[in-house]
Amino acid sequence: MFVELKHSLRRYRGQIIGWGIGLALLGLLIVPMFDSLSEQQETFEQLLEIYPPEISAFMGDLSGMTTPEGWLAIEFFSYMPLIIGIFAIQMGSGLVAKAEEEGTLDLIMAHPVSRTALFMGRLLAFILATLGVLFIAWLGIMIPMSWSTMDLRGIEVARPFLSLLAELLLFGTLALLLSMLLPSRRLASMTSGLVLVASFFITGLAELNENLETAAKFSPLNYNQTQEAFHELNLSWLAGLFAISVVFILLTWWRFERRDLRVAGEGGWRLGKWAKALKRGA
Amino acid sequence: MSDYAIEIQGLVKWYGSVQALFGVDLNVKRGEILGFLGPNGSGKTTTIRCLLDQIRPQEGKIHVLGIDPQANPVAVKSRVSYLPGELHLEDNLKVEQILRYFKELRGNQIDENYLKELIERLDLDTSRTIKNLSSGNKQKVGVVQALMHQPELLLLDEPTSGLDPLMQQEVYALLKEAQAHGTTIFFSSHILSEVEAIADRVAIIRKGVIVEESTPSQLIDMAMRQVNVSFLEPIEIAPLEDIPGVNLLSTSDLQATLLVEGNMDGLIKTLAQFPVKDMKTVSHTLEEIFLKYYREEDQEDA
Repeated sequence: MFVELKHSLRRYRGQIIGWGIGLALLGLLIVPMFDSLSEQQETFEQLLEIYPPEISAFMGDLSGMTTPEGWLAIEFFSYMPLIIGIFAIQMGSGLVAKAEEEGTLDLIMAHPVSRTALFMGRLLAFILATLGVLFIAWLGIMIPMSWSTMDLRGIEVARPFLSLLAELLLFGTLALLLSMLLPSRRLASMTSGLVLVASFFITGLAELNENLETAAKFSPLNYNQTQEAFHELNLSWLAGLFAISVVFILLTWWRFERRDLRVAGEGGWRLGKWAKALKRGA
Repeated sequence: MSDYAIEIQGLVKWYGSVQALFGVDLNVKRGEILGFLGPNGSGKTTTIRCLLDQIRPQEGKIHVLGIDPQANPVAVKSRVSYLPGELHLEDNLKVEQILRYFKELRGNQIDENYLKELIERLDLDTSRTIKNLSSGNKQKVGVVQALMHQPELLLLDEPTSGLDPLMQQEVYALLKEAQAHGTTIFFSSHILSEVEAIADRVAIIRKGVIVEESTPSQLIDMAMRQVNVSFLEPIEIAPLEDIPGVNLLSTSDLQATLLVEGNMDGLIKTLAQFPVKDMKTVSHTLEEIFLKYYREEDQEDA
């Protein structure tokens, strides 16, 4: 398991650094911006008053933007699941299926490594890679904070990152499960991506339309904690998100243990069959 | 301990609604080299992948080195090496990195001197990145990783695919040396000369069933041979038509062309009563025999 973990982390290091630095640069930009806006707080508050409620629905309570927590929640954490969710979905769907579709898993699995060890090694690498990206992003906020007027402790900033981690693991493991059930990795990524985007919109629109409140209860992003998380996390929500990820992981492991390993070229889009069926129909 | 490195009984494999194996029965003795032949899609790779628990058969029993691969795949794979027919390696790694990874997956139990010898004999540049290698050089990486831990059983799916003739000869030599050290080799191939050169026995699979198991020389002996006989003077042809296992294809005043199945004893004894000027025998190669199985399949499909 540790050989696979080490190898997978080596393989993911480019993505960890790339995504981590990208998010850290965003933090480096957002934190100093807060200081600039604080200098013109009165004008800024007047501006916020004329913002339509739809923006508030998606970004969070705009009136809190004049506080460091509110600013970071709206400018960084509110849409972060959508951005870095792509990373989690790509990693999750590719954890096993990518190597299968590229044909490299065939030879790896001919070595004395059990399916469980390979799966757990790669899963652990995915979790560590996600933690790595979030840690670099956390540094990107904490470093400029030392010369900013923002006065938040490291643990306070870490809390919304913990909620974000739970969301990323949920979407990553969903993509992983789908990659075991659907015929191709691409289909698994696309389906998970649709769930992510749908969840974002349902959660936002539910703030404006009461009819969507029931649907929002089933939306994972409804339980993403941003502004409120800086001071206190809702641990039930957090545990719920982690528990769902664990269920997805167990189902994926169960499936991977029992299914045939695919080789390169298997499990792609079967456009040929559809084209033939269409021709016959015509 | 069983005398067999591989024991397969009644292996049946379905891929969804498509049946790939229809009850494969095959035994491979310890220490032998068995050439596994068959047309594309006949079930060669499916059989090999079942041996490694990559895919699970619906029916049948398998024992590899006395172990059931489904019950204990890691125990089987620690004593077996595999070279896939379509070799895919991680493109961004260097050869030395991928070999190190495979070595680590085997718990670093590799004889470094033997690894160096393999790399030198196959003229492999380990500093190059996989994506920059030709298909032949990638195949060399596959051969090295298969041989480097000196396994008890080698499962090779078209081992010399993409290699130039010189390298093919080097791989044959390596396989023969491995056999001399007690390794059993089970390999599929489309290169019949390779099977003739190194295999102790041959198994032919067609449409998911083993249709022939024999030594290469027995297979060749069993095949029809064409015999051209020329005589010193015109002869009475009738005795030639009555020889069991012999078909008279054509005759002229001083010549006869015959097709002989099995041994030549009856023909030679009959010819002894005639004034024979010359006799030429055209032997079939393994390739022709194999093609016979291909053609039979085509005819059945038609």
